[in-house]
Amino acid sequence: MQDLVNIFVKSIFIDNMIFAYFLGMCSYLAVSKTVKTSAGLGIAVIFVLAITVPVDYLINKYLLSAGALTWISPQFADVDLTFLSFIMFIAIIASMVQLVEMVIEKFSSSLYNSLGIFLPLIAVNCAILGGSLFMQEREYESLAQATSFGLGSGVGWLLAIVGIAAIREKIRYSNVPAPLRGLGITFIITGLMGIAFMMFMGIKL
Amino acid sequence: MSTEKVKREPLFSTKYRKLLTIPIGKNNPITVQVLGVCSALAVTVKLEPAFVMALSVVVVLTIANVLISLLRNGIPPRIRIIVQLVVIAALVILVDQVLKAFAYDVSKQLSVFVGLIITNCIIMGRLEAFAMANKPWDSFLDGLGNAAGYGVILIIVAFFRELLGSGTIWGIQVIPQGFYDFGYKDNGLMILPPMALIVVGVIIWVQRSRNKELIEEN
Amino acid sequence: MFSNRYIFIYSSVMVIIVAAILSAAASFLKPYQERNIREEKVRNILASADIPSTKADAEDLFQMHIVKEIVVDLKGDVLSVYENGKLQQGEVRAFEINLRKEQKIKEAYLLNESQKAPGFPLYVCEKEGKTYYIIPLRGKGLWGPLYGNIAFDDDMNTIFGANFSHDKETPGLGSEIATSEFADQFEGKTIFDSDMNFVSVKVVKGGVANSNINISHGVDAISGGTITSNGVTDMIEDCLGNYVEYIKKQK
Repeated sequence: MQDLVNIFVKSIFIDNMIFAYFLGMCSYLAVSKTVKTSAGLGIAVIFVLAITVPVDYLINKYLLSAGALTWISPQFADVDLTFLSFIMFIAIIASMVQLVEMVIEKFSSSLYNSLGIFLPLIAVNCAILGGSLFMQEREYESLAQATSFGLGSGVGWLLAIVGIAAIREKIRYSNVPAPLRGLGITFIITGLMGIAFMMFMGIKL
Repeated sequence: MSTEKVKREPLFSTKYRKLLTIPIGKNNPITVQVLGVCSALAVTVKLEPAFVMALSVVVVLTIANVLISLLRNGIPPRIRIIVQLVVIAALVILVDQVLKAFAYDVSKQLSVFVGLIITNCIIMGRLEAFAMANKPWDSFLDGLGNAAGYGVILIIVAFFRELLGSGTIWGIQVIPQGFYDFGYKDNGLMILPPMALIVVGVIIWVQRSRNKELIEEN
Repeated sequence: MFSNRYIFIYSSVMVIIVAAILSAAASFLKPYQERNIREEKVRNILASADIPSTKADAEDLFQMHIVKEIVVDLKGDVLSVYENGKLQQGEVRAFEINLRKEQKIKEAYLLNESQKAPGFPLYVCEKEGKTYYIIPLRGKGLWGPLYGNIAFDDDMNTIFGANFSHDKETPGLGSEIATSEFADQFEGKTIFDSDMNFVSVKVVKGGVANSNINISHGVDAISGGTITSNGVTDMIEDCLGNYVEYIKKQK
């Protein structure tokens, strides 16, 4: 249990998707103009990460990694399909996003109205594919750990985008040098936020 | 291939040259279109991985652009996104496998970021916006130009981060030992991830100060 | 414009072509990739015993110098011996052992979750008429795994040489463990105290001279790389600990 909490906290603060790995920067920069929309996108990211990372974990464990196919027949012990992981992961993500969209549309129209427009954006969000690839690289040991990592990364992403959106709402009233306005200052503020987040690195988990 | 067309119009006519050069400067994918930032910054601590990353993107984007352009009339619109993703993912896997076989050290440094080329928005963006509607040679130049524009930023960022952060360029010591004897220290901050963002911020600042039409409202 | 049938055939053909190309590429490139991984392992092992190697001669040097490979378990018993190019005893060659897997088996074994006993590799190296024992290490740093090899003199107590590597520690800070300046500090340190108690070698923040750790059981940490340094300390203690029983039996 404790390792799950560790992974969760670690992926929010220490291995923050945005500040430590710059994943999902495209939508982060494009959608962070107001707090409301960025919170919507953030929640959608949490949602999708919490689903795709565990699914990709299972795919990786029972289909792709070396010797994973032994559950079908011991003959397959030498089969290593790791080289297909990129294409499998992206396919899973694209279809999962589609599936989530259909399910939400069917069961909760209010949720669909608030999240719906963000879901297609997410299929090509690097944070989602990055989540699966990091899950594979760090070799999490159980489904629970992978889920906890997926959730934590999503929450970290939400934290980052809501933070920058709040700052951007405020900075609109400030006198920023003209060439820096918009994109430039957003980059620099993100950098400063990243430095602030680095202090979490010393936490021993 | 549209060889007739190419014969009628010189291979490097003004139009074609523009296709190549505009994305490197005025319409740079990173600093102006804000695409593909994700995978760009994490690999810029040193010049070598940044260069390899830029090269990989050049290869993937150019080939994908040409392939999609060749296939553009046969791709059913309903599944075009999937087709594009499959083409990109297949190319990225090839690049990844080749790097692992022939440039092992660099591929270890790049780790998952090679895979993230798949979701690099520049590539999807160019395929969707350009290659689906243009001839192969145009698409080739457009792909090359955009990938080069991406690569240039990567290399500039990596150059400053490596020079200021480690005192080296491409692994070779350039700051003379004498400086260190006088108390000069490498700026450890440059090596940390957040500084990549700040360096890009500064590059945008410089670019927009020189080219006023790029300045945003706020 | 396009019928469902066309879409279906189109996507099937595409999937088959892509799968064929990728599998062909993967199986064609696999030998090169495996050679890279193997070569790196060989060169790191040789480097700890201070044998410089190049990509070309690494394999030959390894065959020349590493005369024997042993696998030992936690109780100090020898599980397998590989000598003169073939297995003399046991089933696995030490070189083929995946340290990470064995560490997991060890965890389960110590918790009594499994009866399977882990085996740890030990390389016997001959150089200029002297015998050295090389123990491979694996641990966790700040951003990813750390690796290393430590070569001991034939008393299996005094360190003859060491080398460390990592996948992605912070460049300029934690990554300094891969430099020879850091690794050379280990030369001459001992892992047992005078009563033959295992004390390991610690990487000390702020310098060994300013701490209460005996100078022969500690080295100076890298400034700014605290978590990586602690990772090295843990890695050495954890990995060498597996061999304590074996070493005691040899005395």
